[in-house]
Amino acid sequence: MLVCAQLTCYIKSVNMSKKKADLKVFILGEANVGKTTLLYRYIEGVFQDQISTIGASFFLKQWGKRHVSLWDTAGEERFSGLSNLYCRGASAVIMAFDVTRPSSFHSLRSRFLPLVEYANHNCLVVVTATKVDLAKDTTPIITMAQGLEFTKTLNKELQLTTVPYFETSSKTGKDVTEVFEYVFRHCFPDENLHKKTPPVHIKSRSSTVDLETQSNDEETMKVGCC
Amino acid sequence: MSIKAFELVPTIERTKLLSDRAKTQIECIECCGKNLYIGTSDCFVVHYIVDEQHLPNGKTIYDSVKQGHKYLGLKKPVVQLKVASALNRIMVLCDNTLTMLNMFDLEPIVTGAKVKGVTAFCLNQNPISNNPFSVEICVALRKKLLQIYTVTEDRLNHVKDVATQDPPVTMSMDGTFVCAALSTQYSIVNYDTANSTDLFPYDSEAVKPFVQRISKEEFLLSGPSGLGMFVTTEGVSQRPPLQWSESVSSYCYVHPYIVALDSEFITVHSILDQQQKQSIPYQGGIYLDEYEGRVFIASLKEIYALVPIAWEKQVTSLLADRRVSEALALAKNAKKVGLTREQFQRMYRRLQQQAGFIEFAQQHFDECRELFKTGRLDVRELISLYPFLMPQRSSFTRSVPSLHDIADVRQLARNDATTIKTYKEFLMSYLEENKADAGKSNNCCMEIDTALLKLYAELDPSKLLMFIGKSVCKLSDCVELLEKHERFHALGLLYRYNGQHANALQVWKRLTNGEVTDVLFPGLEYVVQYLSSLSDHTLVWQYTDWIIQKDECLGVQIFTNRPANETPSDKLQPDNILDQLHRYPRAVITYLEYLVFQKKSQKEKYHTHLAVLYLDNVFKLLESSTSSKENIDRERCKLRHMLQTSNLYRVQLLLGKVKETDMYAESAILYGKLGDHDKAIRILVHKLKDFGQAENYCILNSKGKDSFHRKQLFHTLLSVYLDPSYERRDLLVTPAVNLLNNNQGNFDATKVLQLIPDNWSIGLLQSFLASTVRKHMHDFRTTRLQRMLSRGENLIVKKESIESQREALQLVEEKSCAVCDRSFDEPTFIRYPNGIITHTQCAKNKHVCPVTGKLFSTTKRTSAS
Repeated sequence: MLVCAQLTCYIKSVNMSKKKADLKVFILGEANVGKTTLLYRYIEGVFQDQISTIGASFFLKQWGKRHVSLWDTAGEERFSGLSNLYCRGASAVIMAFDVTRPSSFHSLRSRFLPLVEYANHNCLVVVTATKVDLAKDTTPIITMAQGLEFTKTLNKELQLTTVPYFETSSKTGKDVTEVFEYVFRHCFPDENLHKKTPPVHIKSRSSTVDLETQSNDEETMKVGCC
Repeated sequence: MSIKAFELVPTIERTKLLSDRAKTQIECIECCGKNLYIGTSDCFVVHYIVDEQHLPNGKTIYDSVKQGHKYLGLKKPVVQLKVASALNRIMVLCDNTLTMLNMFDLEPIVTGAKVKGVTAFCLNQNPISNNPFSVEICVALRKKLLQIYTVTEDRLNHVKDVATQDPPVTMSMDGTFVCAALSTQYSIVNYDTANSTDLFPYDSEAVKPFVQRISKEEFLLSGPSGLGMFVTTEGVSQRPPLQWSESVSSYCYVHPYIVALDSEFITVHSILDQQQKQSIPYQGGIYLDEYEGRVFIASLKEIYALVPIAWEKQVTSLLADRRVSEALALAKNAKKVGLTREQFQRMYRRLQQQAGFIEFAQQHFDECRELFKTGRLDVRELISLYPFLMPQRSSFTRSVPSLHDIADVRQLARNDATTIKTYKEFLMSYLEENKADAGKSNNCCMEIDTALLKLYAELDPSKLLMFIGKSVCKLSDCVELLEKHERFHALGLLYRYNGQHANALQVWKRLTNGEVTDVLFPGLEYVVQYLSSLSDHTLVWQYTDWIIQKDECLGVQIFTNRPANETPSDKLQPDNILDQLHRYPRAVITYLEYLVFQKKSQKEKYHTHLAVLYLDNVFKLLESSTSSKENIDRERCKLRHMLQTSNLYRVQLLLGKVKETDMYAESAILYGKLGDHDKAIRILVHKLKDFGQAENYCILNSKGKDSFHRKQLFHTLLSVYLDPSYERRDLLVTPAVNLLNNNQGNFDATKVLQLIPDNWSIGLLQSFLASTVRKHMHDFRTTRLQRMLSRGENLIVKKESIESQREALQLVEEKSCAVCDRSFDEPTFIRYPNGIITHTQCAKNKHVCPVTGKLFSTTKRTSAS
């Protein structure tokens, strides 16, 4: 029995030590489009070639006060059955395709779009073209218009002011942070990253107001006395 | 990359188990407390008692004794065994039939409760019902059906059927959830609501499906490509998958590890980072499971236990391998084992400190800074690694057992000077950051400050000076070191802040005299400033001579810049100071100037002394032929300024000295001070011929006095100009005329006319005369006007007075005197201004009303009528 008690303790501690993330975001796309590289570029700020992801991997990112779990799924066909496990409960999906490989763009619609069904209702879908640094005029590439069109259809039900379509490069860092910032700002609309300003504002305002109200109080008190 | 998390210990050996039948093979095992059961391929259930012994050397050994066996008589293998210890029952799956045996004598139960057509079953380890004497199980049938039973001592009570899409192969339970591997995919079913969630498909030819509950509401499934997939009862994966080999047959969870068995190895993964931690070669393993925290592994012929190695040992070995983050993660997640919170904290901090030193040895400064900080390292541990930084008399001893195996920094850096420097810089920044906290918590401010001081002395002298004032370091130690690094100014400061002023001054004296050098020494001014605020006056006098010899002007600042709130002492009385300074005339002058001009001393002595000294200076300059004119002018200017502004010096004395010389300006001032304006002006006019100065003199000396005085002065000036006895008076005509024409207002015209020589032409004086006449005219008219106005006013007053008294009064018989109350028999009477009427003889005083006693003014309104 004693052993049993200890066991439950273990289990508790596991649950406690695992921080509950406030937001779940996952990234989808065909194999070798640079999903892990994109995440790595965002988290670590450097470009590094990544080995093929097995199953899935995950990063915990602190954004302001919020914890965000960023799930990186494996693009290979043999793992596609597993992806739905990671998609459940996600508030935002980043769909990535290789701008130099049109097939990776088309497979988003055919292969990966059904997975989005597993995510939360009204889930934000951001589409990112990767490897734009390689997009020289030699290879046929997906135009921005195509990308925007596709992205619009995905987010029909959301009232978005801008279309969440980004052309990124993990190598140069182009627009990488913008992708994630867009997601976080969308999912935490109330969060103000620059928290320093409002308290100062309130403070200065309240201090002046305090003075006045205080004097007003005194006046009314005097009146009352008389 | 590997750590030793488990040890393989034989539990039931081949020879012991199967001595009798050679072809018997282990099919499944079950363990509960000391009871270990084996299901064999030839339909036996064998019962062993297994004793666990912990040897003093830390090893664990198992001793097994066979208790009995039972042949089920079906010639089929026993596929699955599960003990329900609360019921004293063991559930057996054999030949697709689930039956129960008594767990001690292995006899079948009387009621013969059984379920047929079963492919697999599992126990619910987290049942919803709280009844301790029942057990919930889930049974997989060959049909596409799962059945839930509650098991009591002699019965299997059917609770629910749950249909599935495909025949279930294996499953696990938690609460009302059954996570089942169907023939082509995994699925989670809630038997209460019959909701099912498809998880993922698998290829039944490539993957052996397996489901293991690992914690509350979480299962681990074997997925494609040897992946271990975590999944919660909600069908979500909260952890990245584990990577196993493809031949994994069974696995289990022992916090914080997942132990998996494949055909050749036992692999251990951490659930914390999903990385493989250990792999133990093990051929022919068929089954592995965790039983109340112990892991047993069965091969076909023998059973081994996988004994966890104490996590402390694991952490130590991780640290020894310098795998700091893994060690800390492990320690953090293993915390609840028999330690109170405080004990754990202490232990964990110690680990952090050890880890910190490991990072330190590898020059990973950012990491070790963080570790030291969170581990609340006694900074003295760190300081003591640096040679010569600890104060010699510090009571500190390194903690035992040692936190590290570093001898000192020199050894770490292999005597490479730059490396040592980076180490020192690290210590410096670390101490700076943590000075406040560390000093308080360990009461070792002295050690910290001493170390910092020594570091600054070596690396960053600019901070050194700032720091010395705030530090509480060990003096004796630092002195030596500062001398070694030639930070003499800092040494002086150190003495100063420690109150050893004599030593401090000694150091600065050496610096000033150039015996030693230090670029940071600001120079003699600093010493002077220091002396001027030093309250030990004896010491002040000791060094005064030396400093004044160096620089008189600077030296005297010792006395002139003293703090205002200093308590006065005999040694620093002005008289005493002057006595002492008399050898240094410039110092004396500066000091006197300070007394006279700044302190506004009212003592005649100082004023006279200063004036005389100024005068002497001027004399000296005048005598020497080399002195430049500017120099002389400057000195004389100072003297004149002194003579002019001060009123306290002895004029006669100075006059006596000046009179005989040609310092006319000075004499003029002195005469002026004596009130002898005639002489003063004469000197100004005759000797200096500086007429502007003369007029200025008049204005200056009449300042604040009445116009008469001013008139007189100007008149004196004019008479000096026009003095007929002066032989060169013709030269003075122009200034005289100018004076008259510019300052007309200030002259008495008649006196001027008397003075003016007869031979002057009217034209010369035209403007003076015109303005004088005009002024006189003006005065005359103004006066007349005033007179007339006054007269008018007088008339008005008179009129008012008459009007107020001109009330008609009728004297009739009825009226009587207010004093004697008798009637009037004469026509004369007295009326007071307030209307009281009396006899003339009754009015004794015409200024006082006899009735009311009212006093009427004697001057203004006379009351008698």
